[in-house]
Amino acid sequence: MLSPGTLTAVMLLTVVVGTTAAFLAWRERQEPGAVPLTAMLAGQVWWSVFFVLEHRAGTLAAKAFYSDVQWLGVVMIPVAWLLFALEYTGRDRYVRPRYIALLSVVPVVTVVLAATNDYHDLLYLDTRLVTGTGRPILDRVAGPWYWVVTGYTYLLGILGSIPLLRLVHSDTLPFRGQSLGVLVGTLAPWASNVLFLAGALPVPSLDPTPVFFAVSGVAYLGSITRFRLLGTSPSANHRARRLVFERMREGAVVVDRHDYVVDMNEQAAEILDVEPGNVLGEPAAEVIPRYGQLPEEGRSSRHLTLGEGLQSRQYDVTVTTFGDFHGRSLGGVISFHDVSDHLRRQQRLEVLNRVLRHNIRTETNLIYGNADLIDAEGTHVDAVKAGAMRIEAISDKARDVIDIFERGRQSGRSLTLSAVLEECVEAVRADHPSVTVDLEVGPDDDPTDGTAVSVSPVLTSVLMNVVENAAEHNDSADPWVGVRATCADEAVEIRVADNGPGISDHERAALERGNETPLDHGSGLGLWLIAWGTELADGDLTIGDREGGGTVVTVCVPRIASEGE
Amino acid sequence: MPHEPTCAPEEGGATGRTSRIADLLTTYGERVGNALVYSSAYLAAIAMAEVAIAMALLSLPPNPAPVVVGLVTFAVYTNDRVADADSDAVSDPDRSAFVRRHRSSLYLLGSVAYGLAVAISVLGGPVALAVTLLPGAFWVAYAADWVPNLAPRLRRLKEVLVVNSLVVALAWATTVTALPVAFTDAAVTPATAVVFAYFLLRSFVDTEIPNVGDVEADRATDVATLPVAFGVPATRRALYCVDLFTVGLVGVAASVGVLRAGPAVALAVGVAYSLVVTGLLGRADDDAVALASECEYLVVAAALVGPLLRV
Repeated sequence: MLSPGTLTAVMLLTVVVGTTAAFLAWRERQEPGAVPLTAMLAGQVWWSVFFVLEHRAGTLAAKAFYSDVQWLGVVMIPVAWLLFALEYTGRDRYVRPRYIALLSVVPVVTVVLAATNDYHDLLYLDTRLVTGTGRPILDRVAGPWYWVVTGYTYLLGILGSIPLLRLVHSDTLPFRGQSLGVLVGTLAPWASNVLFLAGALPVPSLDPTPVFFAVSGVAYLGSITRFRLLGTSPSANHRARRLVFERMREGAVVVDRHDYVVDMNEQAAEILDVEPGNVLGEPAAEVIPRYGQLPEEGRSSRHLTLGEGLQSRQYDVTVTTFGDFHGRSLGGVISFHDVSDHLRRQQRLEVLNRVLRHNIRTETNLIYGNADLIDAEGTHVDAVKAGAMRIEAISDKARDVIDIFERGRQSGRSLTLSAVLEECVEAVRADHPSVTVDLEVGPDDDPTDGTAVSVSPVLTSVLMNVVENAAEHNDSADPWVGVRATCADEAVEIRVADNGPGISDHERAALERGNETPLDHGSGLGLWLIAWGTELADGDLTIGDREGGGTVVTVCVPRIASEGE
Repeated sequence: MPHEPTCAPEEGGATGRTSRIADLLTTYGERVGNALVYSSAYLAAIAMAEVAIAMALLSLPPNPAPVVVGLVTFAVYTNDRVADADSDAVSDPDRSAFVRRHRSSLYLLGSVAYGLAVAISVLGGPVALAVTLLPGAFWVAYAADWVPNLAPRLRRLKEVLVVNSLVVALAWATTVTALPVAFTDAAVTPATAVVFAYFLLRSFVDTEIPNVGDVEADRATDVATLPVAFGVPATRRALYCVDLFTVGLVGVAASVGVLRAGPAVALAVGVAYSLVVTGLLGRADDDAVALASECEYLVVAAALVGPLLRV
């Protein structure tokens, strides 16, 4: 049993902790649930303060007075508790003046009955002093209204606990910690109150409930400071919504009204290349690139590009804000819709469309026009043949494009770099005997000592086109093409240089831009085939000018494990 | 390889150690000093001295009132500085930077201090509790940002000329005088009224003097103070008048026997000190003058204790 001095000390500790927690909660009053939490803590402090005054008073009248005054704090707690639970869990549509007034009817009646108990005995049937081992203690016999307000208190307590218990099941760990803190803070005094009402305490006439509010204060304080109870509001986080959230194809990041990340699905974590556990609670600007440039609401006018070079991916980013019932902003959802494939398909269609509409049509018209003249002049027959050959070449390229798309989908296949290079160089030497083609392969790529470098089979078409373009369009007096491969631990760089006229600026611009227009397009499929093939091989492509004239095309692709490994 | 020193290593080492110790003491001493000044902890110490003076003037027995007032002072001023950290960046950038750097810790410390003060005051009974809550209630009314929301026409009391300083002075005079009385269940006598009036006048002066250094910031935030409304020379003259009025009060109280001669002389010494400080308004560094003004109670305490030590 507690001595009077110890009891007073514990109660005063309760006051210290409760007051501190109330100030801290008041500081966060803009956050959902903070104001009811402050009221709840104020009620707890009020109860504890007047409990001490009652305990230290010497007369029956003084003790009874302080006991009656305690009711103001006692009845404030369950109402504030329920309002806190509703606001904090996003059910704030029930936190309206008329509902608060309704909830306050029983508390107000209780306070009035406490102040006027001498006239009706509805709250207490009898009040007397009992002397135990220490000071005299007030002993009051509960009247009918006492049980009404007790039942009402427990009813509100249970109603408030339901949404918070659901929150405990939240998949987001910080919120679970917060909920447990709140539940411990509430269950401790209520459990003691149950024991008091059941007469299971060593001093039946002494209600220790406010003593256990010391535990509440510590739990709430921990929830506020350690678990950031009100700094990151979970709001509506119900199970079904969670399921949809996790299974949606789009990446989604939930931010609170202070732009801190409070949740994200796995897709978003993958897109942003982050570990969800590491970024929850972090500023959104540190997690989402170009966060500051996103609109307040709606779809971003620009695609968000994540990643570098050909490995980059593009996303449609949409901001959807949400608020509570009173119109206060709670935060927003940033969703990421991957449009990379769509954009690339669009690119390819644009090019193929141009080839079909422009190149093939032009060549066909040429054939048609020359065919009419075949009887008049025999030389036009060659022109017809040449046109037909160009159509065939374009068709071949188109087939190559389709071929590399197919190969790109087949994983696990590989070729040795030296074989690919030799095949390309030999073919070009055969087709263009007037062009000098030099081949230099790094010392690491030696198939005889088992250190052969393996690359994607897609690279064959890519390099074939690079070398062929360099030879075919080379109008130099002494045409030359140099192919040099350099092998590193992780990647291979193939540099193809020539002394020809170079690749025109508008062709390069189209490649860099990633699309063509009817007025601004390339001359064929070759360069696109090179770009797409490199992309499918997870590589990078750069086109530059060669010192002394000509072009340098550099293809850098990762080494892959050979089929035998 | 560098050569090791071959001569008098102890001498050099000792000098180095001494120098390092001096550096450490200087660095940490400066930090502690800044923390005491910027966090308002020194104001808490001065407030404790005020209560001790009130207790001496009223011949009250020892009680927890000075501790409670010290804690409340720390809490209220710390919270005030935290709330005004951004606007204080103009008038006192160093203090503002310190407060912003330790904003959360200071708010937590202030809250704990108020909680402790409330808990201790409960031991003094309901009147002591009410008096302890008074500065907090005044502070809320004085600076709370939600008051204009509740009543759009009601300007923050902090912005109203004279009323702002009077509210602060009233809160502190009531607390400093009433709390030790409440803790000791002492009767309210004419001496109590004189002590209350004395602290009301002194607190008014102490509140207006720092306003001289805050003219630009107060003008920017529409806070009306004497120096903002009438200029520094007029403020100096007004505060001279308050000082002289205090001298008159103490003189009358001593002449009719409400105050004993010794304490009355000590209070007069304090007012003389205040006249000198007020004379420096606008003529010396504003921060130093404000700090000197707040130290008036230490002068009075010394004047009260000094003769006792000599005996």
